[in-house]
Amino acid sequence: MLLRCRIPLSTFALEVDLALDSRVAAILGPSGAGKTTLLEAVAGLRHIESGEIEIGGRTLFSSARGIDVPPRERAVGYVPQDPTLFPHLSVRGNILFGTRNAVSRNGSTEFSLEHVVALLEIGQLLDRSVHHISGGEAQRVALARALLSRPRLLLLDEPLASLDIGLKERILPYLKRVRDELAVPMIYVTHNTVEALSLADWMIMLAHGRVTAQGVPHAVLTSGAVLDEIDSGLENVFEAVLIDSNADDGRSRVRLESGTCLFIPYTPKPLNSRFQIGIAGDDILVATQKAENISAGNVLEGTIRGLDIAARQAILRVDAKEEFYVRLTPTAVRRLALSVGVNVYLIIKTRSCVILGG
Amino acid sequence: MSAEIWQITLFSLAVALASTLLILPIGIAVAWVLARKNWAGKTFVETIVMLPLVMPPVATGLVLLKIFGRRSPVGAWLYDRGVEVVFNPKGVLIAMAVMSFPLLVRSARSAFVEVDPRLEQIASTLGAAGPRIFFAVTLPLAWRGVVAGCLLAYSRALGEFGATIMVAGNIPGRTQTLSLAIYSFVQLGQDHEALTLLGVTIVLAFIAVALSERLARSKIKT
Repeated sequence: MLLRCRIPLSTFALEVDLALDSRVAAILGPSGAGKTTLLEAVAGLRHIESGEIEIGGRTLFSSARGIDVPPRERAVGYVPQDPTLFPHLSVRGNILFGTRNAVSRNGSTEFSLEHVVALLEIGQLLDRSVHHISGGEAQRVALARALLSRPRLLLLDEPLASLDIGLKERILPYLKRVRDELAVPMIYVTHNTVEALSLADWMIMLAHGRVTAQGVPHAVLTSGAVLDEIDSGLENVFEAVLIDSNADDGRSRVRLESGTCLFIPYTPKPLNSRFQIGIAGDDILVATQKAENISAGNVLEGTIRGLDIAARQAILRVDAKEEFYVRLTPTAVRRLALSVGVNVYLIIKTRSCVILGG
Repeated sequence: MSAEIWQITLFSLAVALASTLLILPIGIAVAWVLARKNWAGKTFVETIVMLPLVMPPVATGLVLLKIFGRRSPVGAWLYDRGVEVVFNPKGVLIAMAVMSFPLLVRSARSAFVEVDPRLEQIASTLGAAGPRIFFAVTLPLAWRGVVAGCLLAYSRALGEFGATIMVAGNIPGRTQTLSLAIYSFVQLGQDHEALTLLGVTIVLAFIAVALSERLARSKIKT
């Protein structure tokens, strides 16, 4: 996938040059950075001054060669921030809108109506009016509509941004299912690092129309260059299996891939269910001696493997069987004399462990 | 009501209906182009379309008379093919159509403007071509404005006087419409007939207003 384009905007120009080979590429950046513009350009909805767009070996746009494939022939599914469902059609009418043209575009069978409806769990909504479904359901319907047009690329513009936290947690697993079960590459615009970490395998930072950093998500998020641009905090995301639950104690226990066990707030999920948990890098305390008599449920022993001190903060990479990223002030680093190779204890409150994706 | 009154009423209703149906496809096309496209001479086209709304109807009628008269190229061409417009029911049809056209276009145009262009963009990313986007997305979302425009155009056609009398004259049993007949009956002192026709127009007006109110209500509901 090749995205090279220049688009003049009112106060600056969007200028990107990206060669992507990822399943899910997340584009992060402050609002007004040009993220949506970039998606619209790929979908063919925005005039590109110069550049080239190539997806799966097919050139969609090339100013040099005079190619500009119209949106309807691009086979690019676009899910805008506001789901933009057709208000005069039922849910079924909406998701079937693109199927008429789909067969000639992509022959695979995984994009069948039954499969997509089951995947996104919208079967019970099919005959409803789009005025009578919730925001999260509308997003799933918009996603189904895009998928059923059998796209070669899916563009998602902050699909979780307009929803409250509860809904966010419920829609993330559907996006993961789409990623895992349908072989369609995605470009995913977000300003939320948790979403990006749990979905993407490539991350692009965009600011004022320029790519300021790109790479594997953890590396990008912890590189000093972009720390100042992230507002939602450094996140640690782990795959977890529920091994114990006790409602009276108000906590459950999970095992991470490395075998490390953590206490998390009580969840009614059945034992052995799998999910991801996130821990904000700001929520982890670091101690150089084992602390006794503390309220935090989790104390892990580890070794500092990386230390990156930027202007106002320090990012610690700690190997405690799992790799944890911790954000501290430079003062704390000095006071504790932290450096690479030092043994530390990570203190994590039970309440700081958040279940991601419902 | 006498046979004469019935004839006048039905003739007016039928020709106004035919005129509305005649301008419907053209009006929708012009309204859509004005709502969605921009080009250098757009203001000029807008002015031409709206002209019958601001010009005195009699003046518009005179223009039509000059265009369709037998001595003009258009009129002569039509006459050679056996089509006579002037002082003919077809003249009534053309006068009504031209006079009501701007009302349909205005109403349909603002309905098209109100349709979110993003819906059309999304439709295009889903593989829909222009005609399908129009008939499956734009028109269904703008239909209320289009129907309201039709009602306006139909009412205007029924009330048409000035242009009709210039082009088609006022021939009883041939080109005489409701409005023309009311005028004639009053001139001839036949107040009973004039008042009967007045009653007919009031009933028709009530129906038109009721329909458009209903339309407005259904808009609020969704």
